[in-house]
Amino acid sequence: MLATQLKYDLLMFSRELFYLVFTIIVPPVTYIFMGQLFGDQTYAGNLSYAQTYTPSYILLITFTTVFFAFGFDQVTHRTTGVEKRIKLSPVSKNTLLLSSIIRSVIITSFGYMFVYAIGMVMYDLQFHVLNFMISYGFFILLNAVLLVIASAIYSFFNEMKSALVFSIVIFQVVIFTGGFAFPISMMPKFIQVIANFNPLFHMNNLFIFVWNDQLVFDKSIFISIGYISCLVIAAFLILHFSNKRRI
Amino acid sequence: MNIIDVNNLTKAYGTNAVLKGIDFQAQEGEIIGVIGKNGAGKSTFLEILMTIKQYDTGTVFVFDEDLNSLPMNRLEKIRRQISVVLQPTQFYQTLKVEELLRLFKAYYKSPIDIKTIITDFKLQPYRKKYFDKLSGGWKQIVSLAIAFLSQPKLLILDEPTTGLDPHMRNILWTYITDYNEKTGGTVILTTHNMDEIELYCDKVLLINNGVNEIFDSTEGILASGYTSINAFYLEKVSI
Repeated sequence: MLATQLKYDLLMFSRELFYLVFTIIVPPVTYIFMGQLFGDQTYAGNLSYAQTYTPSYILLITFTTVFFAFGFDQVTHRTTGVEKRIKLSPVSKNTLLLSSIIRSVIITSFGYMFVYAIGMVMYDLQFHVLNFMISYGFFILLNAVLLVIASAIYSFFNEMKSALVFSIVIFQVVIFTGGFAFPISMMPKFIQVIANFNPLFHMNNLFIFVWNDQLVFDKSIFISIGYISCLVIAAFLILHFSNKRRI
Repeated sequence: MNIIDVNNLTKAYGTNAVLKGIDFQAQEGEIIGVIGKNGAGKSTFLEILMTIKQYDTGTVFVFDEDLNSLPMNRLEKIRRQISVVLQPTQFYQTLKVEELLRLFKAYYKSPIDIKTIITDFKLQPYRKKYFDKLSGGWKQIVSLAIAFLSQPKLLILDEPTTGLDPHMRNILWTYITDYNEKTGGTVILTTHNMDEIELYCDKVLLINNGVNEIFDSTEGILASGYTSINAFYLEKVSI
């Protein structure tokens, strides 16, 4: 059953142009474009563009996939009545959830490899097996965190229009306050303040550190991990209560 | 055998009491029409029977199981025996008709051959079409075909013929009555079309002001002096 569900989940994803554009096309194109503009610069920690922005854009693909193809999709199904019809079918919630998670992991892993390949071809990104495996493992963990947070956020939406507006706005906010467009230190002060509340900013920093073997457990790392953990706990609580509400 | 047994069922949305004490029984092989004006609580009642809506007080037994105290695994077991056609009918928009049938065949672990279902429901010209691109009538037919995949003991239809032209209505009713005759399955449906009630239903439940004002056989209602179910409805239900 899981294999059948996954097959059709992937098929449906591939037929949604909107999802494809935002998940598979926009982040890599932006990665290439920004690399053409700032590829020669050196970033915090004496890192090159590829070392800093390859993990960033992989995370961006993960964010867009999880928020659009997982979270927004949930709202679409809820508002169009599909969720109700599926609920009436003898397919377990766990099968549906697991299929969605595997679908997200497959799509984001494709994005991971895609951006990695671009980095190697265009920006002299080096491949090291151990580092690759650790980074990929951490990426899967970030995937899970985003899935939980997205699921909780989109459980509040009962209208597709408001979910769509939210998704587009949050995409912009994440781009500018997550450190995906420019380093946050180059941004105005108020953006820097907002960035501290953006979990993607913390995830991005952590991922860059892990990617470049620079993870040192200092105060800022603990703040990032603590903040993300609090959000995950809050998301689990929201999901617990929203599930109770809907049964 | 009672497939459904409902006693003194109540349900309110905030301060708006929609169902104020419904009593209802459905037996094997019956076709029962649920009628009432818009907002009377027909869909709420059906959704409670479908096991997807909680209720406030009263008892609801479906297949001899008390819905109020069922764990999720037992609820899923009941759902395996129920099929529904919802209003509006919606499925995954980016799947084609045949793909939808295959997906739901997997959900229901149905032994029915997809080709047979496609032939039976005359879906051959539409099998490669996206569900979203079908007309309202064909959406309902596909929905019914999916409902039949599970070989249900109980079929619940929420306004299945709303918006359909007379031909499509006819086709839909042919499938429903055939299913009822062949399998002895129970059918419960809501409709605003009183002719359909008169033609096809064994019993009628009229929900008015939150209670079952009448729950009787169609023949019994007509025998009590009404010229038609439509005349009965117009007299019993005020605007």
